[in-house]
Amino acid sequence: MSIKISHLSKRYGALRAVDDLSVEIPSGTIFGLLGPNGAGKTTTFKCMLGLARTTDGTVAFDGKLLTPPLFESIVYVPERDVLYDWMRVGELVEMNRRGFKRFKAQRALELLQMFGIDTRKRARSLSKGMKTAVAVAIAFAREADVLVLDEPTSGLDPVNQRHVLNLMVNEAARGATVVFSSHQIGQVERAAERIAILDRGKLVLEGAVDDLKANRKIVEAIFPNETYSLNGLAGDPRVGRVDRSGRIVRVTALDGADEIARTLETAGGTGVRVIDLNLEDIFLYAVAPASATADVVEGS
Amino acid sequence: MPILLTVDARSGVPIYQQIVEQVKRSAALGVLQAGEQLPTVKQLALDLTVNPNTVARAYRDLERDGVIETSPGRGSFVRGDGTSASTRLAARDVVRRTIEGSVREAKAMGLSRSDLRGVIDATLDRWFPEEQ
Repeated sequence: MSIKISHLSKRYGALRAVDDLSVEIPSGTIFGLLGPNGAGKTTTFKCMLGLARTTDGTVAFDGKLLTPPLFESIVYVPERDVLYDWMRVGELVEMNRRGFKRFKAQRALELLQMFGIDTRKRARSLSKGMKTAVAVAIAFAREADVLVLDEPTSGLDPVNQRHVLNLMVNEAARGATVVFSSHQIGQVERAAERIAILDRGKLVLEGAVDDLKANRKIVEAIFPNETYSLNGLAGDPRVGRVDRSGRIVRVTALDGADEIARTLETAGGTGVRVIDLNLEDIFLYAVAPASATADVVEGS
Repeated sequence: MPILLTVDARSGVPIYQQIVEQVKRSAALGVLQAGEQLPTVKQLALDLTVNPNTVARAYRDLERDGVIETSPGRGSFVRGDGTSASTRLAARDVVRRTIEGSVREAKAMGLSRSDLRGVIDATLDRWFPEEQ
């Protein structure tokens, strides 16, 4: 099931928690939502699921707005557990079995066992990580078409984090659409096909992880003295940012790194090298304060 | 399944490219033999914990480069004439990237074409002594 978010905005008083967000998530994709604390990730999820009233904009699932018949197909794991925490884990499974036609209780019990959770325990007696695991186990037994997971690995040990990521891969392999947020960029980098980065409610970057990595590079060059001209790069839309430090210049290329490398060589640069960026580098660049992204390329 | 792939998700090299290069290397080294079946997209995605579409993209590239062939319903297999042309081509693809990086670095450090040729010839002499 594809998801189309169009011009979504959510204001709380003067605060623009989500500001004109448009993103399309193709069916069967694992989609990672990244952003610093307070960027609007959870608010976006709540608006998608009708848990918060949108100020503006729409969210469509396979072209249709959210209505009760869709509830069976969509599952949400909130960041802060809203489990009925006085219930025993086994009772939570039973409650879901009664509530959702497609729910596979046996699958839920298998997953709970994988996470090492005793189903006789009351939810409130579990650690934070184990509560996450309960929510995840129940969600992945729903056989949903869309899974929206807010920090689905938080509080889990590395083994169980990997279990959760593999469950996501498994869901995507059977055609489900998985949208998740995480502060652990390494996880997003590994499991997500596409990502969006939010910052202060705005979309700052969106794309396929592998394409972003293939295209975004740093091109570094050393010049014989400090008076060199980079006019060749002025106005080039592929140049994201230019950092100068004495005779060394580092150009963040959004694309066309090899051509930018040649331009720097033509301008008299030596020791030109192209440096790969991982998702963390790309993320930090995307959410860097505006003052750090000076795009002045005229010669000094 | 005697295929051992690893991906470094934190690397700046796209994951599909890492998979492509490792399969080519395995084919060239004979770790993957002609006719051998590769894991399904789903299985490899789970083994590596990466997106199934990423694995599918790697398999498409490998198919385009003639390293594997996929028949619907049966799976993906290492292409036929394992010993010769196809694996040699695959090996060349893998090596080209390494050499590209080294030559770039050498040029950056100011080595001339003939300097570099000297280094390469000496290296070749050491590794292929019988052809001197």
